[in-house]
Amino acid sequence: METAPLIAMQSVGKTYPMGDLTVHALRGLDLTIARGELVVLLGPSGSGKTTTLNILGGLDRPTGGRVVVEGEEIARFDERRLTAYRRTKVGFVFQFFNLIPTLTALENVEFALSLTGRGSSLIRRSRELLALVSLEDRADHFPSQLSGGEQQRVAIARALANRPALLLCDEPTGNLDVETARQVLQAIRDLNRREGATVILVSHNASIAPMADRVVRLHDGSVAKIESNPHPAPVGELAW
Amino acid sequence: MKILLLKTLRDLRATLAQSVALIVIVMLGVASFAATVAAYRDLDTSYNRTYEDLRFADVTFAVQGAPESIVEEILVLEGVRNATGRLVIDTGMELPERDGETTDPIRGRLIGLPVPERPQVNDVLILEGRYFNSTDETSILADTHFAEYFHLGSGDAVSPLLNGRPVEFQIIGVAASPEYLMASPSRQELIPSARSFGVFFLPLEVLQKHLGLEGKINDIAIRLENGADEQTVVRRVQEKLASFGLSATTLRADQPSHANLTADVNQFRDVAYLLPSVILLVAAISVYMMLGRHVRAQTPQIGLMKALGYADSAVTGHYLSYALVIGLIGSAAGALLGLPLGSWITKMYAAELGIPIIQTQFYPDLILEGAALSLAATVLAGFAPARGAARQTPAQAMRFDPAIAQVKGRVSFLERVIHLPLELRLPIRNIFRVRRRSLTTALGIIFAYILILMVWGLRDSIEIMVSRNYETVERWDISVSFASLQTDSTGRDIRGWSGVQAAEPVLQIPVTLRTDTRSEEILLTAFDPGQTMHALQLPGGITPREAFAGGRLLISTGLADLLDLSEGDRVTLDTAFGPQEFTLGPTTDEMMNAVGYLPLDEIQKRMGTPALPYNGLWLDVDDSQSRRIKTDLYRLPGTAGVLRKSDLVADIRGYMGLFYLLIGIMMAVAITMAFALLFNAMMVTVLERKREFATMRSIGSEIRRIAMLLVTENLLLWLLTLAPGLLLGHWMALQVGTAFSVDLFTFRIVLAPSTYVFTAAGIFLTMILATLPAIRRVSNLNLAEATKVMN
Repeated sequence: METAPLIAMQSVGKTYPMGDLTVHALRGLDLTIARGELVVLLGPSGSGKTTTLNILGGLDRPTGGRVVVEGEEIARFDERRLTAYRRTKVGFVFQFFNLIPTLTALENVEFALSLTGRGSSLIRRSRELLALVSLEDRADHFPSQLSGGEQQRVAIARALANRPALLLCDEPTGNLDVETARQVLQAIRDLNRREGATVILVSHNASIAPMADRVVRLHDGSVAKIESNPHPAPVGELAW
Repeated sequence: MKILLLKTLRDLRATLAQSVALIVIVMLGVASFAATVAAYRDLDTSYNRTYEDLRFADVTFAVQGAPESIVEEILVLEGVRNATGRLVIDTGMELPERDGETTDPIRGRLIGLPVPERPQVNDVLILEGRYFNSTDETSILADTHFAEYFHLGSGDAVSPLLNGRPVEFQIIGVAASPEYLMASPSRQELIPSARSFGVFFLPLEVLQKHLGLEGKINDIAIRLENGADEQTVVRRVQEKLASFGLSATTLRADQPSHANLTADVNQFRDVAYLLPSVILLVAAISVYMMLGRHVRAQTPQIGLMKALGYADSAVTGHYLSYALVIGLIGSAAGALLGLPLGSWITKMYAAELGIPIIQTQFYPDLILEGAALSLAATVLAGFAPARGAARQTPAQAMRFDPAIAQVKGRVSFLERVIHLPLELRLPIRNIFRVRRRSLTTALGIIFAYILILMVWGLRDSIEIMVSRNYETVERWDISVSFASLQTDSTGRDIRGWSGVQAAEPVLQIPVTLRTDTRSEEILLTAFDPGQTMHALQLPGGITPREAFAGGRLLISTGLADLLDLSEGDRVTLDTAFGPQEFTLGPTTDEMMNAVGYLPLDEIQKRMGTPALPYNGLWLDVDDSQSRRIKTDLYRLPGTAGVLRKSDLVADIRGYMGLFYLLIGIMMAVAITMAFALLFNAMMVTVLERKREFATMRSIGSEIRRIAMLLVTENLLLWLLTLAPGLLLGHWMALQVGTAFSVDLFTFRIVLAPSTYVFTAAGIFLTMILATLPAIRRVSNLNLAEATKVMN
C-alpha cells in the first residue's frame, strides 16, 4: 500500500505585481515530497526556489494551484491557522540565521519551544536540542558571541524545537565558509536521518546535490528535472 | 551627486512616518519659539507706542489738596517737560440695569481732566464718541475695559455717588488711558476687575463743583525733560508740594498699570524664551538621537556606497543632506506656523487687556535663530554617525548587522540564578543589553516628562497659590474701604446688619518702606492682632500677638527677600503723618509681596488719634445676602470701594484665562512633541528589529505575543524612567518658577500630587498609543522578505 506524500504541490502558480509588470515566480509547479526525504532544490536566480520554500513554509501564498501538506490545503488557511501551521509543522533555517540577538543560544531554542509548551522541561529539551547540534557548551552565549556556523546550528536546533514535520532551509550555507558549511550540512543530514525530519534545502550550490535523496532542478518557475539519488553521499565527501 | 540627492529623498519617503515625526518636532520647537518671542516683542512695542502717543506720566504726585495754580509753578521747575493737575477720587457708582436686572454698584475712579484742551500728561485716546467741550456739565467718558464689560457706550447713564448721593452723567464716549492699560486700582490690587472697578473721566471743573473743591486738585502728573535726573526733579516737586499734604510719589516703574504690565510682559518674555528654548533643545536632542539611530541602521548601505567608490566626504555629505532636509522643512514649517501664531497671540492678548494701539511685525531674525539652532542640531545629528560609518572599511560596514552588533556582554550571574519567564526576560534583555537604544528611548520619555511637568507646573502653581491666598489667608467675604477714617459707630452699625456675621476694623494706607539703600511702595494694613479675617503666615507656631510684640512691623517674606531684610532690622515708613521708624518682626509668607502689617493700637499711638483709626472693614457675611450687603455698603456716605472675595477670585480666574491660553498652546506643543518623540522611538525600535520580529512570526509567534513583549518592554521602560522623569520634570518646573517670580508677588512652583499621577499615566498611555502603529507595522511585515534581508 502506497503512503500519502507529506507534500503535494499541484499546478502551483505565483505572480507578483511589480509596478506595471507582473512577474511570474512560479508557473504551474508540480512536486510531491515523501515523509523523511531530504530534497535539494537547485536552480539559478529567479527560478522559483525561494518562492516554493516560502509557500511551503506559509510565509507566502500561491496565486494558483493547490498546496497540500499532511493532507491539508494550506493555501486556504487564514492568518491564524497559517501562524499555527508555521508553529507546529514547519521549522525554518534562514540564510542570515535570524537569531533573536538579546537571547542566548539556549534561550533562542527555548523561545521556539515556549510557543507550544510551558514548564521547566523547556530548558531540558532546549539543552537536548543544542546537544543535537553539538553546541551544549555554547548554550549561554549571545549570538554576537557565536561564529556564523554556530549561529546557524543554533538556528537548526531552534527549527527542530517543535518536532516539525518539515524542515525548510533557505541557503543555509550561503553566508558561511566551506568548513563551517560542511558542519551545518552535517547537522542537517544527521537530523534528517536520526529524527526523521523531512528536509527541503534550497541552494545555488550544485555541489551539495549528492547528499540529497532527490534533487529538484527548477527553471523559470517550474520543475525542469528531478533526479533520484539512491545512495546519497556523506557530507564529508562533497566536493566544493 | 544627483543620484545621492534622489536617494536622500527616497530614504525620507521610505521612512515617511519617522521623517514626518522628526519634522514635526523641529517644527514645533521653531514655531513655539518664533510665536512667543514675536508676541513678546509686539506687545512691548505696542505698550511703548501707546505710552508715547498718550504722553504717559514719568512721575505722579498725590496730595491732600492743592490749588490748580501749583501746576504752573511745577512747570517752570528745571527738568519738568509737562505737568497736568487733576482731581482723582474713588467712589461708589450706580450703573444702569443690565439685561433687565439691577447691577451691583461698583467702585468708580473719577478723574477730572482739563477742558477744552487735552491733558499734556496722561492724555486719553478716544475710541468712541468725543472729548469734552466747555459746555459739558453732565458728560462723562468711560474707560474702555469697563465700558466693554458692561456693554456701555455713548448715551448710557452712570451715577457716581458724590457726597453720598447719586449724580447722573451721560456717557459721551469710550476712552483708553495709558495709566489704565491694565485697570488695576492700586499697586496692592493688581488684578484688574472690570466687574467691580471702573475708571471715568469728566471735566475737572465739573468734578470740583460737585465735590465742593473748586480750584483744587489732588493729583499732579509730570513728564521729565529728556536727560533730566529723575531723583533731582522729584525732590524739587516734592518740596513744592510738601505743604499740601503730599501722600504719595509714584514713579512710572511703580505705577500700578505699568508695573502690572511690565510684570506681565516680563513673564511673557520668560515664557517666550524659556519654554520654547527648552522645547527647541528637546527637539534638537531628539533629532540628534533619532537621526543617529537612523544613520547607524544604514551602515551596510554606507559600506555599499563606499564599495561603489563614493568618497568619505560624499557619504558624510549624503547623510548630512538627510539631516538638512529634515531641519529645513521643519524650520520652514515652524516659521510658517510660528509667526502668524505670534501675531494671533499678540492680538488676543492686547484685545483681552484692552491695549488700544497694537503693532505686529515680521521678525526674520527669529526665524533665523530658531532655524539655525534646529539646523545645527539636525546637521550635527547626521554628521557624527555618518562620519563614523564612513570611516569603516566597506567590507566591515556591509557586514554590519545593527541588531547583533548592539548586544554586548555575557549573561550575568543574576540572570543565571533568577530564572524569569521568557515574556519578562526578553523585554528586560532588550532594555539592558541594547543600551544605546534603551537610553535614547528613555531620554525621549524623560523629555516628555520634562515638557509636560514644566508647563503643567505653571498652571498648578497659580491654582494652588490663588486658592491658598483666598481660602487660607484672606478669610473675609467682603472688604469695604472708606474715603476717610471712621468712628466706632460705623463698625457697630454694620455689625448689626442682617446677614453680617462679623465685621473687623482695618486701616489700609499706601506708604513707602525705606531702608538705607532702597525703598518700596507697600500697602500698610493695621488690625487688631486678635482678628480672624486675615491669617498671617508666620513661622513655626508664632502667634500674631507675639509677632507684633513691642509694636513691630511685619512684612511679607517676599519683600524681606527683595530688600534683603530680616527680623530685628530697622526700617522707615514714609506716611501721610510723617516718617515713622519700626523694628521688623518675623515675616509672613504670603502671595503679595508689597504688604506690611501693624497692630492698630500702634498706629493709633503714632497718629495720635483719640480712638482706634480705621478706614475699612472686613466682613464675614451670609453668602445669600452678600450682593445686597455690597449694595448697601456702597450707599453709605464715604464708601470708596466694596470688594466681594468671590468676585475677586472670579476676576483672577478670568484674568488668568489668557495665561492659560498660552499654557494651553504650550501644553498642546508639549503633548504633540512627546507623542512624536515616543512614536519615533517606537518606530525606530521596530525598524531596527524588523528581522527579529519577522523571525518570531515565521516560527509561529502570534502578533498578540509580540505586542505583549513590546508593551512589557514599554512598561518596564516607563517604570525605569518614572523616578528620573518626575524628578527632572519637577526640577525643570522649578527653574521655570524662578524665572516667574517678580517684585509684586511671590511665585512658588507647587505641583499637585495628581499632576504627577496624571502625567505618568498620560505618558504611559502615549507610549502605548505610540506602540500601536509599530505593532501594526510588525503585523504587516512581509515575512518572506524581512527574514531574508539584513536590516
